[in-house]
Amino acid sequence: MRKLLWFAAFFLSFATTAQAALQQASFKNGVNLIVEEDHSAPVAMVQVWLKVGGRDEVPGKTGLAHVFEHMMFKGSKKLAAGEYSKIISAMGGSDNAFTSTDYTAYFETVPAAEVSRVLKMEAERFANLKLRDKDFQSEIKVIMEERRMRTEDDANSRMFEELSAASLRLHPYRNPVIGWMQDLEALTIDDVKAFYKKHYVPANVTVVVVGDVNFQQVKKVVGKTFGKMKARKVEPRFNPTEPEPLGAKRVIVELPAQLPMVAVTIPVPSWQPGKNDKEAAALALATEILAGGKSAVLNRVLVNEKRVASAAGAGYDPFTMGLDLWYAYGALGVGQTVSSFEKSFWALIDEMSKTLPDKRRFAAAKRSVIANAVFAQDSLYLRAKHIGILETVGIGAVQQDKWLDLIRAVQPEDVRDAIARWLKPNRATTGVLQPKRVAVSGGGQ
Amino acid sequence: MIRVWIFVLGLMLSSQAVAAPVVQQKTLDNGLNILLIEAHNVPMVAMKLVVPAGSRFDAQGKAGSAALLSAMLTDHTQKHDYQAWAAKLDDAAIRLGSGVDKDTMSFSLTVLREALDEGVQALSEAVLQPGWQQKRFEFLQKNAISSVIKAREEATTYAAEEVNKLLFPNHPYGHAVSGNVQSLKQIQLKDLKLMYQQQVRPDGAVLAVSGDITMDALVAALKPYLNGWKGKPVHAFSDIKQPQPSTQQASFVTLDKHQALVEWVRLGPSRHHPDYKALLVLNHMLGGGGFGSRLMEEIREKRGLVYGVYSFFQPLETNGAYTIRLLTKADQAAEAEVVLRDVLQGLADGHISQEDLDKSKRNLVGGFAQRMDSNRERAGLLAMMGVYKRPLNYLQNWTKSVSSVTLADVKRVAKQYLQPKDWKRVLVGPDVMQQ
Repeated sequence: MRKLLWFAAFFLSFATTAQAALQQASFKNGVNLIVEEDHSAPVAMVQVWLKVGGRDEVPGKTGLAHVFEHMMFKGSKKLAAGEYSKIISAMGGSDNAFTSTDYTAYFETVPAAEVSRVLKMEAERFANLKLRDKDFQSEIKVIMEERRMRTEDDANSRMFEELSAASLRLHPYRNPVIGWMQDLEALTIDDVKAFYKKHYVPANVTVVVVGDVNFQQVKKVVGKTFGKMKARKVEPRFNPTEPEPLGAKRVIVELPAQLPMVAVTIPVPSWQPGKNDKEAAALALATEILAGGKSAVLNRVLVNEKRVASAAGAGYDPFTMGLDLWYAYGALGVGQTVSSFEKSFWALIDEMSKTLPDKRRFAAAKRSVIANAVFAQDSLYLRAKHIGILETVGIGAVQQDKWLDLIRAVQPEDVRDAIARWLKPNRATTGVLQPKRVAVSGGGQ
Repeated sequence: MIRVWIFVLGLMLSSQAVAAPVVQQKTLDNGLNILLIEAHNVPMVAMKLVVPAGSRFDAQGKAGSAALLSAMLTDHTQKHDYQAWAAKLDDAAIRLGSGVDKDTMSFSLTVLREALDEGVQALSEAVLQPGWQQKRFEFLQKNAISSVIKAREEATTYAAEEVNKLLFPNHPYGHAVSGNVQSLKQIQLKDLKLMYQQQVRPDGAVLAVSGDITMDALVAALKPYLNGWKGKPVHAFSDIKQPQPSTQQASFVTLDKHQALVEWVRLGPSRHHPDYKALLVLNHMLGGGGFGSRLMEEIREKRGLVYGVYSFFQPLETNGAYTIRLLTKADQAAEAEVVLRDVLQGLADGHISQEDLDKSKRNLVGGFAQRMDSNRERAGLLAMMGVYKRPLNYLQNWTKSVSSVTLADVKRVAKQYLQPKDWKRVLVGPDVMQQ
């Protein structure tokens, strides 16, 4: 890395963030705590992260990690169902939770003076959850409505769900986090209880607090609550090696829709510090060049010049447990065809795999990634979330500055080579949303 | 243990002074009203320039003009074609966006502190030196048509159309901000030029800023670029009549979905309504407060009928819509509507305890600081204050005025606003629900 420092110097001036040093503590039972003090406003973000997500579900039980997240709000030894959120609300706070393939997190935004109390409540429900069948029966209905809203009645997300399932053979990212409806219909309270016992273990917990707090005080409270729980064994997480694709795949989804959508997914490695630093940073920068900012190449070439889509984008998440499903998409407008989009898209990728990126675009992409890190400092939620993700997927929050150093060090050749190595048509799966016309009638009575 | 904590909480809340940030104000010679909150914790600046050029100023039959104009202004300029413009913004990581609502058009800028000058220059170039390229206009128009067609995959698009017919017939608020296929096709470049000349003017416009900057430095940065901007909008912002809802009570649209979208609507308060704060507290109880609100409690928590149910009003220069919205499996829609009606009736009949009121007030007051904990949120709040002429001490007084809402106030507005018979119903979904 040393030899690249001269290059990094140019970008250094953009890296001045207000980020305070992270303070960390770990407890004997494996509970991990990270605090970032920021005294600019009397508020704090508390997040409890679990090393459990969709990837930890067994076949036939998809959706269970997310169902469990809902059950965390359904009462514990000391709190009735729904009471947790009501107490948070009464302190002027708000709470919620989210589940992904790699993690589950529970969060509260509260006046800073309430942080100790919130941590005690989080620990109490974590340790003493009441998992009643009555609550489960009602909540599973809520989750089915959530699935209908987010997936079944949204043609684009449904296509992406089918595409993900077709893209991977072994890796658990092939299953939707919300779960297949058929699995949701079969889940029982016993599944939920078994999941609780297996995964809600102290060694799976990372507590993140960002805001107007004092590290020593937070450490004391976490030590007395989460830190006091009995240590329990955790098994290694399910993280199989996805077999290398053997050729292009294609899935066509026919649903009521107005206009087609095309998407392409390609399995790529995420960042494993020390192992693939250069490659992951190059992939991130390649994706930023393609899809970031106003001069994004996909937008310039496919939307503005060739006019083969009305919008286009791409995404890469370097912060996962080893594999990411890289994607690009084109939302087609009136008169635009799937085949011309695909042709232009692959011609563009092919060209980028053989030539160096435009110098100005390359520099702007670097600056953009670094500027985004500064803009993200403006939100307590995003700051805590970034820390939580890095810890939970095994990268480590201490690496967050190193990632920006790696971005600064990327060379134009690295971008070209990363595209050539990974973004190949014979490694890709293409998904097409093919509209069945929506029948509409009525209006007025 | 929990009980002890609650007791302690009560003590703390009563003595807790919520410190609102200080708002600084300055009017430039051309009439531009600048509002600033200084925040030096992150080296960035967020701003929002708002002009009275929302969709209500769209010409008859040309819905979508304001939206198209805002897209046009940030697409290219007199000096830079779209490619050069995009590259110029990206060189300095300048995030420049634009959008419209029913009342206003706004331009938002987020920049690193060190790129402030380039950012302000770019914002001014977009607003003051339009490029008016016919080719780009046609391109943006075509894309706008595709996106309104794409939006017809969503039930909310159809519901919004019905709500517009029910609440805002023959009213400037009565069409979609994005327009529709027919109206977009009617728009010509000269229509956008006319709207620009008439409404995109500094006198009465608001520049709301939050970030790592002082008023002196901000004004010094703005002056070289914004000085040439002159004039007053042709159509006054405050010149708008009250909407007169239609007599029609309900509307149904059949759409091939699993869920039915249920919306109950009526006119809500304007920004200037004397009961605004009382309604805010009441709505928090009804369905504005997320978990813990009555609708969420009865329809989701007790019966598992929905993932979410919300109530919200859009306070504008005059009355906007007051909406209650839920999505449920089509064959459960009728059951959900019965519960919805009961919740409204209960509140309208005055079944509200002092404790209910205190809970909502505690959440609103305690959560106030969080609603202002980022530069972009603060710029948004300041923009609202400027556009709707709230006093400079609005933020300081906000918690006080919410706290002073009484049980009698809330019961009075509940009786006035939440009578089920005064709400109109819109249902969008598979025809199984058309009973």
